[in-house]
Amino acid sequence: MFIAAALIILSGAMGVIVARNPVHSALFLVQTLFGVAALFVLQEAHFLAAVQVIVYAGAIVILFLFVIMLLGVDKVEDLNVEPIAGQRPLAVVIGAAGIGLMLTVLVIATDVISGAHSSTGPLGESDIDEIAKSIFGDYVFAFQLTGVLLTIAVVGAVVLARRAATDPEPIPESAYDELVAAQIAARESTLTAEGGDGTAQDGEETTDDGEDSADDGEAET
Amino acid sequence: MIAQVLAQAFESPTIDYHALAPEIVLVSFAALLILLDVVLLEKGRTFISALAGIGLLATMLPILTLAIDGTDRVMFGGAYVVDDFSLVMKAMFVLSGYVVVLLSTNYIAEGDYWENEYYGLLLASLTGMVMISSARDLISIFVALELLSIPVYMMATWRKRDIRSNEAGLKYYLMGVFASAVMLYGMSMLYGTAGSTLLVDIGEAVGGEETTSIVTLAVIFTIIGFAFKVSAVPFHYWAPDTYEGAPTPVTAYLSVASKAAGFVALLQLVMVGFYARDDVYEPVLWILAAASMTVGNLLALRQENVVRMMAYSGVAQAGFMLAPLAVAGKIGDDAVVATVTYLLIYAAMNLGAFAVIIALARKTGSATLDSFNGAFHYAPGLTVVMTMFLFSLAGIPPFGGWFAKFAVLAALIDANTAAGVVLAVVAAVNSVIALYYYGGLARRMWAEEAPDGDLTPVRVPVSLVAALGLAAGLTLLFGVFPNLVSEVSDVSLISTLGG
Repeated sequence: MFIAAALIILSGAMGVIVARNPVHSALFLVQTLFGVAALFVLQEAHFLAAVQVIVYAGAIVILFLFVIMLLGVDKVEDLNVEPIAGQRPLAVVIGAAGIGLMLTVLVIATDVISGAHSSTGPLGESDIDEIAKSIFGDYVFAFQLTGVLLTIAVVGAVVLARRAATDPEPIPESAYDELVAAQIAARESTLTAEGGDGTAQDGEETTDDGEDSADDGEAET
Repeated sequence: MIAQVLAQAFESPTIDYHALAPEIVLVSFAALLILLDVVLLEKGRTFISALAGIGLLATMLPILTLAIDGTDRVMFGGAYVVDDFSLVMKAMFVLSGYVVVLLSTNYIAEGDYWENEYYGLLLASLTGMVMISSARDLISIFVALELLSIPVYMMATWRKRDIRSNEAGLKYYLMGVFASAVMLYGMSMLYGTAGSTLLVDIGEAVGGEETTSIVTLAVIFTIIGFAFKVSAVPFHYWAPDTYEGAPTPVTAYLSVASKAAGFVALLQLVMVGFYARDDVYEPVLWILAAASMTVGNLLALRQENVVRMMAYSGVAQAGFMLAPLAVAGKIGDDAVVATVTYLLIYAAMNLGAFAVIIALARKTGSATLDSFNGAFHYAPGLTVVMTMFLFSLAGIPPFGGWFAKFAVLAALIDANTAAGVVLAVVAAVNSVIALYYYGGLARRMWAEEAPDGDLTPVRVPVSLVAALGLAAGLTLLFGVFPNLVSEVSDVSLISTLGG
């Protein structure tokens, strides 16, 4: 059971990273969050499992999807352009080193991880009671300040996102065009550097994929 | 049903409102400032910053009464502790917050990005810092850390129509979230080992013999998370860009208060939580300290922009503050004293240096090193004060910085181990390197000619003068009477182990 849940979580998490379409990533995220809910059920924390499904898998991912669709970024991003040369190989090396370090530590470990539950006794009357007791008991101060934190985050986000009445004129269109032209030029030069006549075809293929997967996304939802 | 509920009546925790008063005052003022903005709109522009300052001074009152009272207060089963250490740090956070308000007053009001919420966010962030100095369990530490970080992410991008400021905020945000994730991973392993979020319980579980590998990973991950926060090499790369792009008062806040908050949490974790495992945390912190000092200083030598230079010098200074922790297993509470001493003095001199940078930028409008040329000819007062801060940062008596460096070196040598002595040598060599770029900036201000022979004096607003006076006075006072600092910073974390 644990292994099944872990597999669901890990494959979902991999999917979030690997999927080239943001909508697919969001759907993989749902899978991961469901897996976590299953883990909560395993620990007999049924209330938490329900909250996990309702709040995370339900509300939050739906909001993600709203944002993705409203911003119109539900297209495949072009990942062929590497803004800083060499950062991806470097990332692979560092990531592999990190995983290697963790595995080494776990392999040379004298204490093998058994997977047994660390707490075996019953939680108490019911898990809802226990949660209430910790939130409004030992952790009441942290809980209250979390409220402050969320309020402040909303206030700040609104301030940053709103457009004041006294805003100066937006960036002129021409400047934007120049920016886009510069980006296109930069991209073409990289593509030509990669090799001759493939340029036009590459471009076409990417856009095709984008449309296809966008359709897929809609079909699934 | 109701009878059932009443039968197992809820036992409400005992709350000592006196001990929580600093946080309560700060949150009230933050809320008040944000609400006033809704009512007053543009009219608030003239006095909101003064109100924020009053709020911070009002926060000092309960801190002082708690200090006079002098008893250690413990709440929530040891999760929240008010002792000498936390009071000293709270006072430092509130005072540096006050200086930042003074620095911001004109900078924010005169920019075209004025918004009242700035001060609300600043006060909320300070609440997180005041809380983190008392937090002695993982959940409180994490909530406090987020509460102090999230407003700063938004303050860093406050010049929202400036693409550099956007970059600063976004970079800081992504790095901060990444650090939080790594840290949470470590914390979850700590909780898994100890079965409790209290640092005291973790200290007992971590000291046990059986749980070696998981504890090693947990300690390393948690320390890495905080290394991002204090911008220690190799987790420093967000700092220069963020410092450069953010509004300069926010940069001052980041480099002093935010960094100090990271150190406070690190001190508590290492001294209370990990203390028994010095075989794990000492090498990690040793590497971080040595790398931060060396890399920070070498990169600072090559900077053309004064804020970037200060960013790298801040990285190097973070190395000095980490150094005593790298031998904490041998010298115990002396490491806390050395780091706290360094933090207090660093706060005064670094805030002062930023105050001068802000004052001079009012005339030059730029932050390149060249723009400081010949400042003596048109702003002699500022030049003298800046020289004082720079020499203090380099560690030259009689300014405060020498005592900070002395405390760290003394702690390292007291440890009486090869690692400690080597680190002391690294620190000493780095002090000399640092003198080169601090001195170089001072030389530019004194000896070079002003660009274009422009000698119009700088108009320094009252609030900046107040901030400069406060920082300069403290820097000089700490340098001439170091026993003042050592009396204040004579705190201990280990003695509160009992909870």
